[in-house]
Amino acid sequence: MPCPGYVSKVKVQDRYNVVGFISSGTYGRVYKATGRNGKSGEFAIKKFKPDKEGEVIQYTGISQSACREMALCSELCHPNIIDLVEIILEDKCIFMVFEYAEHDLLQIIHHHTQPTRYPIPAPTIKSILFQLLNGLLYLHSNWVLHRDLKPANIMVTSKGEVRIGDLGLARLFYKPLHQLFSGDKVVVTIWYRAPELLLGSRHYTPAVDLWAVGCIFAELLSLRPIFKGEEAKMDSKKTVPFQRNQMQKIVEILGMPTKEQWPGLVHQPEYSQLQSLPYTARDASNVRGLETWYWTILKSSNYPMEPPSAYPGQQGFDLLSRLLEYDPTKRLTAREALQHPYFSANGEKVSANCFDGMVVQYPHRRVSKDDNDIRTTSLPGTKRGGLPDDSLVGRPTKRLKEG
Amino acid sequence: MAANYWASTQRRHWQFTKDALLDIRQKLEDEDRALVQQYPLPDRRVQSHFFNQQLVKLGRRMTIRQQALATAQVFIRRFYTKVEIRRTNPYLVMATALYLACKMEECPQHIRVVVSEARSIWSEFIVSDISKLGECEFFMISEMNSQLIVHHPYRSLVELQSTLNMAQEEVSLAWSIINDHYLTDLPLLYPPHVVAVTAIFLAMVLKPTQAGLHAASNAAATLSNVSQAIKGVEPSQLNDIGATTPQGKVQSLVKWLGESEIDIKAVVDCSQEIISLYDIWDQGNEKTCREQIARYVKARGLDK
Ligand SMILES: Nc1ncnc2c1ncn2[C@@H]1O[C@H](COP(=O)(O)OP(=O)(O)OP(=O)(O)O)[C@@H](O)[C@H]1O
Ligand SMILES: [Mg+2]
Repeated sequence: MPCPGYVSKVKVQDRYNVVGFISSGTYGRVYKATGRNGKSGEFAIKKFKPDKEGEVIQYTGISQSACREMALCSELCHPNIIDLVEIILEDKCIFMVFEYAEHDLLQIIHHHTQPTRYPIPAPTIKSILFQLLNGLLYLHSNWVLHRDLKPANIMVTSKGEVRIGDLGLARLFYKPLHQLFSGDKVVVTIWYRAPELLLGSRHYTPAVDLWAVGCIFAELLSLRPIFKGEEAKMDSKKTVPFQRNQMQKIVEILGMPTKEQWPGLVHQPEYSQLQSLPYTARDASNVRGLETWYWTILKSSNYPMEPPSAYPGQQGFDLLSRLLEYDPTKRLTAREALQHPYFSANGEKVSANCFDGMVVQYPHRRVSKDDNDIRTTSLPGTKRGGLPDDSLVGRPTKRLKEG
Repeated sequence: MAANYWASTQRRHWQFTKDALLDIRQKLEDEDRALVQQYPLPDRRVQSHFFNQQLVKLGRRMTIRQQALATAQVFIRRFYTKVEIRRTNPYLVMATALYLACKMEECPQHIRVVVSEARSIWSEFIVSDISKLGECEFFMISEMNSQLIVHHPYRSLVELQSTLNMAQEEVSLAWSIINDHYLTDLPLLYPPHVVAVTAIFLAMVLKPTQAGLHAASNAAATLSNVSQAIKGVEPSQLNDIGATTPQGKVQSLVKWLGESEIDIKAVVDCSQEIISLYDIWDQGNEKTCREQIARYVKARGLDK
């Protein structure tokens, strides 16, 4: 604005050495960096794509989600939320500097499927879940909805501390409710999307995040997304389609929701769509039920089945079923979930290090050295540069984070 | 943190004592002595009125919600604790603050709309190139350290209205007092709930006049009396004030005030600030202010 133009007082390159490229997402690219000039430690720098007009990068106004992410990350401070170090606005780009997290849940799950499947130790799952819920309780008690919890967005440090990341979709929910829906065309990656959202609910609540936690819990146990639906794409008229296949996947395991179970069901905007799902009496008898699903997984993963050492065991099932509760008003809250006996079973304390007692070590995050030039602005987005794994292909991405 | 005022960046970084604020501003001016001397500007409170009036004008063209206007006003005030006003084009700063505030308050406006509306009322000072506003946004966010979540007194007002059994007209009067406090330094001096309680207090005491505060100079006098009366009293003595006012409600308000952990001294201070705001209202300084701003903006080419 002033005549010489805006010049950042702080320069990314004076403060950090970019080591390489980690990943590219909806909003830009993430780089690994180390501190310079007396600053020690490792960092992840998320660089937001600048907008281009023709070939020239121009200021075009910062997207609303970037504004939210910057503002929320600046306020938040909790051991289970990724720590923001600073934000640098330089050369028409936004650089958000975070503490570096060596792992994320997607990568950990992936590691347990390659080359052969072997289960994540039960105490590790318990610790991850506990820390995740702890971070979520903090968010919710501060009126923040995350809205995009999924394995890729949950980081784990080399010390085994869980850090919720990617607040790109997060919002304050004390703002008037009707506004929570408008403006956001897509909320929560489809596999982790709560049924009330799939059914078009506009009054969504912190319960959407707890559904996602339920899905993540199931995925940590089975090493596969529990409800792996195919996303219906937005049509040319840009109307948001009913996610029929995703809803179908949920119904296949949990059964068709009923009015008795979920009194608000009939008021869901897409209720009629639900009734049109191909679902017959015969299907109803074929529904495996979450309980069958759960014990089958436990068995195939060789988790101990017999008391007293049986865990996740019965308590694990109980917790899972209360997280994957159809009725959002009955679904456990983060606070209730933390008090669930699953976490206190056998009088054991949940470790604050999810790697406690583990023999295996997870590989370091892939960092590609090909691109350590954080200043280049026009590299095409290669989704998750590192992992050469087909199980990751087909993971849905979010589109249109913003309206 | 975000919804929790006590851990918020607002309390930690954007709440000052009067002296500290004075100091900060003095330093800013000292760093730019020559500039400040060369281009005199009216009293800060007059400037505030002028900015508010201009901002409301812009907001109206786009039918922006009050809360976003309020956030924009806080942004402007914060920004000018970091940057000497004579180094900026205040019209661009206002437009940018409103653009950013709308995003933060979940009522986003397209940058092109903001620029074109701003141009239609301040054509001399706003260029059509949207990148100017985009650049100013970087400047502004950077000066505010990306601390963009603003806690407003409106929420406390809404929360308290039933506790205090407020009538609708009392609520709206309190609401408009809150709107007005953005013309003062109060948002940088006191927590939002203190401002809310002040507004409620003033609204309930003032209720009989119903005239709206602006015109009611005798209302201001009433207020002064009330604040004179509360000044220096112990919370326990507040009952007496309540008893001498006509309404039982006020009495219970005063009782509630005594029992709550609200800093009474702060409320008194706040009331006085607001009352003096109405005192200087309407001094017809708008023209001078406009000219003085135009003079330095043009001379320094800040409108380009
Ligand atoms: N602090 C961090 N430490 C290490 N890696 C990180 C960190 N933050 C993000 N990453 C990596 O970068 C990826 C993308 O980051 P993030 O989710 O914040 O961006 P995004 O643009 O919103 O991505 P997406 O659209 O894929 O969700 C993460 O999935 C993770 O692999
Ligand atoms: Mg992500």
